[in-house]
Amino acid sequence: MLEITNLKTTIGTTEILRGLSLSVAAGEVHAIMGPNGSGKSTLAQVIAGHEDYVVTSGTIHYKGRNLLDMEPEERAREGIFLGFQYPVEIPGVNNAYLLKAAVNARRKHQGMELVDAFEFLKLAKEKMEVLGMDPRFLNRGVNEGFSGGEKKRNEILQMAMLEPDLAILDETDSGLDIDALRSVAQGVNAFRSPDRAIVLVTHYQRLLDYVEPDHVHVLSEGCVVRSGDKSLALQLEERGYDWLREAASE
Amino acid sequence: MNAPAISIDALRSAVSAFPDDSLMPARLDALDHMDRSGFPTPLQEEWKYTDLEPIFDISNRWLADGAANAPAVSHQDAIAVICQSVEAHWLVVANGFIDEDSLARAKVSGIAVTRLSERESAFCFDAALADLNTALLHDGLHIGISATTTLDKPIGILIVDDASTCVGVSQSRIEIELEPNSEAEFIEYHASIGDADHYANTVIGLKLGVGASTNFVRVQNRHLNHSQTARLAAELDHDSRLDCCGFDLGGRLIRNDLHVEIQGRGASATLNGLYLAGDGQHIDNHTRSDHRVGPATSAQEYRGILSGDCRCVWNGKAIVHAGADGTDAQQANHNLLLSEKSEIDTKPELEIYADDVKCSHGTTVGQLDDKALFYLRSRGLNKKYARQVLTRAFAGSIVNKSPITTLRQHLAEMVEKRLGELTDGEIL
Amino acid sequence: MSTESNNLESLVNRRYEHGFVTDIATDSLPPGLDESVVRAISARKGEPGFMLEWRLRAYRQWLEMREPTWAHVHYPPIDFAAISYFSAPRSDQDRPKSLAEVDPKLLETYDKLGIPLHERARLAGVAVDAVFDSVSVATTFKEKLFDAGVIFCPFSEAVRDHPELVRKYLGSVVPQRDNFYAALNSAVFSDGSFVYIPKGVRCPMELSTYFRINAANTGQFERTLIIADEGSHVSYLEGCTAPMRDENQLHAAVVELVALKDAEIKYSTVQNWYPGDENGKGGIYNFVTKRGDCREANSKISWTQVETGSAITWKYPSCILRGENSVGEFYSVAVTNNCQQADTGTKMIHIGRNTRSTIVSKGISAGRAQNAYRGLVRVMPQADHARNHTQCDSLLIGKECGAHTFPYMEIRNPGATVEHEATTSKISADQLFYCRQRGISEEDAVNMIVNGFCKEVFKELPMEFAVEAQALLCVSLEGAVG
Repeated sequence: MLEITNLKTTIGTTEILRGLSLSVAAGEVHAIMGPNGSGKSTLAQVIAGHEDYVVTSGTIHYKGRNLLDMEPEERAREGIFLGFQYPVEIPGVNNAYLLKAAVNARRKHQGMELVDAFEFLKLAKEKMEVLGMDPRFLNRGVNEGFSGGEKKRNEILQMAMLEPDLAILDETDSGLDIDALRSVAQGVNAFRSPDRAIVLVTHYQRLLDYVEPDHVHVLSEGCVVRSGDKSLALQLEERGYDWLREAASE
Repeated sequence: MNAPAISIDALRSAVSAFPDDSLMPARLDALDHMDRSGFPTPLQEEWKYTDLEPIFDISNRWLADGAANAPAVSHQDAIAVICQSVEAHWLVVANGFIDEDSLARAKVSGIAVTRLSERESAFCFDAALADLNTALLHDGLHIGISATTTLDKPIGILIVDDASTCVGVSQSRIEIELEPNSEAEFIEYHASIGDADHYANTVIGLKLGVGASTNFVRVQNRHLNHSQTARLAAELDHDSRLDCCGFDLGGRLIRNDLHVEIQGRGASATLNGLYLAGDGQHIDNHTRSDHRVGPATSAQEYRGILSGDCRCVWNGKAIVHAGADGTDAQQANHNLLLSEKSEIDTKPELEIYADDVKCSHGTTVGQLDDKALFYLRSRGLNKKYARQVLTRAFAGSIVNKSPITTLRQHLAEMVEKRLGELTDGEIL
Repeated sequence: MSTESNNLESLVNRRYEHGFVTDIATDSLPPGLDESVVRAISARKGEPGFMLEWRLRAYRQWLEMREPTWAHVHYPPIDFAAISYFSAPRSDQDRPKSLAEVDPKLLETYDKLGIPLHERARLAGVAVDAVFDSVSVATTFKEKLFDAGVIFCPFSEAVRDHPELVRKYLGSVVPQRDNFYAALNSAVFSDGSFVYIPKGVRCPMELSTYFRINAANTGQFERTLIIADEGSHVSYLEGCTAPMRDENQLHAAVVELVALKDAEIKYSTVQNWYPGDENGKGGIYNFVTKRGDCREANSKISWTQVETGSAITWKYPSCILRGENSVGEFYSVAVTNNCQQADTGTKMIHIGRNTRSTIVSKGISAGRAQNAYRGLVRVMPQADHARNHTQCDSLLIGKECGAHTFPYMEIRNPGATVEHEATTSKISADQLFYCRQRGISEEDAVNMIVNGFCKEVFKELPMEFAVEAQALLCVSLEGAVG
């Protein structure tokens, strides 16, 4: 589904991704790990289309199409979802309102029937129950006054409602306590399906205890330095990232 | 142009009687400047609620009487009491003259105190009453804190005036310069005695070098018949920190101007104040933060308790200039009106020319919280006592924010005393 | 934000859609103002003697006054001698008795403006008093209102047909001497609306008036007087448009509202004057005095406005809360873009007991615009238990604009509760990207955020205006982000 080849990107004058290649197929869960500054979040933002990052060389193909030609909202409507590391607050804009607009934007793009307010609410409440979220969330401003855990849960709720084909979750587990983590993991697991791909960007191994990845990749200084299965994550846990850096420089 | 509020001719005549020292050229310049620009009037926005007519009147009378220098401050005990009850390196300015003994006592490592008359250059102040201060200044002090110094005690500046024998007008000027990464605490303490009229005019300049940090507490506890205008102008360089807290407990007509210029990234300014006003008092606090560069923060919180026939003014201005991205500017003013004859004129102002900023302000005018009152009464406190407790808590929040911990007890006692005087009368 | 701004820039450059001129021969006075001009205006309108005297008194007072200069706005000096103070379409002579008799060119003008009189009137049941260049052209639904006892007619007509009401209330809320522009208006006002709602009557429809300035250098001096007698209720809508012109045009209107015992007046404005081009050239100067007097107990006056036009806006719709338990409200959205300047706000004067005022002001600033809120809450010594809550929020879009707040609070009663809060924020790149990643286009995202910012005010507008207001906001902010 997602084919990244030799991707190089810069922000300002700094090069962050330096020839990154990655391949993700439908039905798979990939974990992207690495020390701070390795380019994990940058990768997520670039796939979503954040304009601060400039792609200097390489390609990204999504479902066979050149992703780099597409605007952020088009990528979203085509089924890419980014769960932000730091979800922004948008006071005054009702959470439900944003969600419904997003759901309908996707549906319209796919030629599906749009949901009306009634259907939307029904759908939302179902998903919120699964996630263990208080329905009153819907009436609040987007992420306004939400705790860290609530913001992350809100991201997962959006993912559940939008039903993307490729979900990239950027450090969705950071700052969460055990209960919140479990609830988020539950949401992610419920989302897994043979038609969907999930990319988990994470610093710690913790989330991967609950959401088992099919593949684990380690980033260092803008490239994938090692790929493996879930046992790679456990090795990192034990030995730290320095181990890989040393191995890479050999 | 209307006749100037204070007679320029009389001022010139008074200044000509001063010794011809190194400050004379500045005095003459200031006189010319005042002649051209005139004095503040309520027609100007900044002076809308505060008419300085009583102060001009005192000044003119004093000038007409020969502009006599007041004799030495009687009641030396009063000075001693303050200096002994608060631990500090005390510098004393009495009736506008620098006390030599206190200068000698302030010879401490890390602090360099020099008379302004012995210096080559001086701080510039561009304000109406600063010219008056320059023109009539006998001498001022420059306090330098050398780099990376930290002091064991605050530096106290006691400005005291005695109007026992005649009408008086006095000036005081202090320049403070903190070199990079130095830390010092300052107490600006105003007191006065004597039943004749008096007008004191203070100008203080404060320059904080990179990484310098200062706690500054101003205490104004003048005779209820005496008036004062005071200006504190501060410039903050990169990563410097100013925590300033002002207390206005006495005086008849008081106007404080506090102006902070944020000139470097990472600077932070906290400007708090408490004013307690009773019959016949007019207390005006104008604060202004100019954010030239960001990211930097400024936070203002002033509280006032008004009782009897009095009027208070609060104007807090925050100006965020273009390019000062990352500015965080907050202002708050809360007032308790205890009597039908009190008036509060409050105006928080924001002028914002940059977009990546976080600014907000909040102002309240009201009474004690009914729910809190009831709560206290339900726990057995009678109504009057409950009111006193809450009023004290209202004022106490600023006392607790005052940054010089060794001064807090003294402040708490003074505030308690004044509050008692203000609330023994009718409370609604 | 390179590509983002390119996309946005292409959203801009939608011309001010109402920028066109009707060329109808107008019967204007030559520019300049002196006593003879005042007399000529009064004569052309066939006014009774008392009205002329009133005008002359105002004119003489105006001569002694000076233009105010304290507003946070900058503009080149206005040459009062170069303005023509009266302009009317020739068909003024025989007033049309029904829409069918109205000059078809004029109706075409209204068509272009999107207010086809007949359709709107029929569907929405709104009576439209369309003012064209200082003279009212058509008044519809007069009969329906007549049955209810409501008087809704051009001001000039009220002067002739209801002189006793005019004499009683004119200038009682905004005295001639009140300010420079009010004095000028009192001398040379040409027309406006007059509304009288009798005791106990709830006006059966929302009243509406459209203004338009056409001839070059014609200052427009509208005068509106609305009186709600005991227990009555009226909702009045005012919406304005103007054509594209190079010379700045002066608009100095005066609106007086009087609410008697238990009466309520709701005055809504959606203002869309020409704002000047991207460089600030041209555009209307909008210097308006609007004031409501809650004269008797339990009365209520609400001002709701959406201001998106004008090169310069200087207006402070105010409430005098005289009657016991009276209520004043002010809801405002002021948008400035490009080089517009606004210095607007409200004054709430609490005089009676138990009075209450609510102020919600939302300022949106973009381009190189300056948007200032200036408000006054004054609680007089006898105003026991006065309550005020003010919320002032500014939204900054871009780095070159400015947003300012100057709230004055003068409180002289200890039982007052006054609360003021202000916040400043911006539409961040992060917020926009977040919405786009959820599949929402940038334009829609900006609209969503801006409308979310303003929703507290929009919900106070009558339905049809709320929709127009939201659309107006989008048009005004095109090209602002990026």
